[in-house]
Amino acid sequence: MTALRRGGGYLLLAAAVVAFLYPIWWMVVSAFKPGASILNDPLGAGPFTLDNFRAMLEQVPIGQALGNTAVVVAAKSALTMVFCPLAGYGFAKYHFRFKEALFGVVLLTLMLPTLALVIPLLLEMKQLGWVNTYQALILPGAVDAFSVFYMRQVISQVPDELLDAAAIDGASVLRTFWSVVVPVIRPGLAALAVLTFFNVYNDLVWPIVAVNDESRQTVSVLLANLATNVTGAQTASGFDLWGQLMAACTIATVPTVIVFLLVQRHFIKGLLAGSGK
Amino acid sequence: MSLLANRVAARRAPATRPARAARGPRTGWRGLLLVTPFFVFFAAFAAYPLYYAFQLSFLDWHGGATYRWAGLDNYRYLLTNPDFWAALGNTALIWLLIVPLQTIGAIAAAGALSRARLRFTRLLRTAVIIPYVTPLAAMAQAFILIFDRDYGVVNHLLGLAGLPHVEWLTSTEWSKVTIALLVLWKTSGFALIVMLAAIQGIPQEVYEAAALDGAGPLTTFWRITVPLMRHAIAFFVVISTLGISQMFLEPYVLTDGGPYNSSTTSGLYLFQHIGASDLGTGAANTFLLVAMVLALSLAAVRLFRESK
Repeated sequence: MTALRRGGGYLLLAAAVVAFLYPIWWMVVSAFKPGASILNDPLGAGPFTLDNFRAMLEQVPIGQALGNTAVVVAAKSALTMVFCPLAGYGFAKYHFRFKEALFGVVLLTLMLPTLALVIPLLLEMKQLGWVNTYQALILPGAVDAFSVFYMRQVISQVPDELLDAAAIDGASVLRTFWSVVVPVIRPGLAALAVLTFFNVYNDLVWPIVAVNDESRQTVSVLLANLATNVTGAQTASGFDLWGQLMAACTIATVPTVIVFLLVQRHFIKGLLAGSGK
Repeated sequence: MSLLANRVAARRAPATRPARAARGPRTGWRGLLLVTPFFVFFAAFAAYPLYYAFQLSFLDWHGGATYRWAGLDNYRYLLTNPDFWAALGNTALIWLLIVPLQTIGAIAAAGALSRARLRFTRLLRTAVIIPYVTPLAAMAQAFILIFDRDYGVVNHLLGLAGLPHVEWLTSTEWSKVTIALLVLWKTSGFALIVMLAAIQGIPQEVYEAAALDGAGPLTTFWRITVPLMRHAIAFFVVISTLGISQMFLEPYVLTDGGPYNSSTTSGLYLFQHIGASDLGTGAANTFLLVAMVLALSLAAVRLFRESK
């Protein structure tokens, strides 16, 4: 009886693993097989080919898009990782006028729907002449309320005695932060860095509005726009397009899966930061 | 999603108010200086654009040099427009297709996993969370091909099983279902992680006491485990509801709201004003969305207080 139930348990487990990984598997396999075999043998692995990647790289500026994504991820993460922990430090450990009211603004900003800012920000970018620029992709949301809020939670765990001891030694604000606070909150910083990476790399809500020019589009924007040329194309060459599209999607997806497998622990910690665990 | 998560977390933040020290090493202008960058960004990229858009929501303006004072016309136009309400209805239906199933499924799976002590549980957790980190733009393209009416794998499998083909993306009946499937696939890992963490947070003694009382496994789960998870459950329901209430990317990349607007959500409807260059109406729609999400948030706060 228990053996049977265990067997059933493993069967369900295997089914779940297959269901959740299959779309990614199908995407990668289709990227490496000829268009005709995507049509005739949708389930099989098909003969291995790099033609899809070759053809796709000739037509789609995915290298440039990956470069843009890298610039945005690097710059936005840098701003987040410098200013949000410092603000969290201020809110967690300093006393100053209007602190409660100012923190109330942070909490209010947390409640603001992301989508609510899209049209207002687009109007502002038009005013500034920032449409299709890196600064439009990088600056809005770079010092965000969640990261400040999360860092405040993390830093409030740092014992006051450590900070007071540093102050008695005459250490400055930044010196204390760097040599006393940072070493203690390293796990929290790692979780924030990982969350920020995925949020910025995968972001599409704002980038799709902020850029409409090939020279500044991120990978996600490029992919979202590619599809319109491909769907409905169901001729023989249409299936070559399917293969090429899957090749582009594979290139965009693989980095996220690899990074995730490397930093899984930090990512899950960050995800649960909100749920009170 | 994770950013949304925090809105909820924010509301539950314990007010850690350190004893006020009138004088001390960490007082005065230094703290204010530390938090200043956040407020500079807030003023430049949230407060100012929202203020500007609020003014605009009372104008009739299409991006040109001329505009006209429109009063409440933009709001009136939206609130009397059947498309606005249809989009809200679509959003509610998509919510109905996702949240109950995902919540109950994640609770059941977390309960089974924590009890059965199977090997490979960690592998499952990893496999289920991977879709959550993949770029939506890429995976939506894969879904479009996998759910293709004529050549997609799903219809191919249905054919092998002797079942009729389904018009996943091309019929008004199924377009919402396909969007729900994409969301379920992408975010169920998050649901599972939250529920697993909640179960693991329950102290072992509780179960020992239940066993002493002779409670069976199902009774224990239903009477003890689930009630003790209610906080995590409320958290998950709230953040997924807030997420879906402003969903626009999934229908945008998968169906572009079609066919016949059958999958146009409130978020996508708002987004479409940009394409139409109807910016005054778009701004008004923004504030209707904010009002809706704030109302949901307030309801959520109440739900949370009760779950404590």
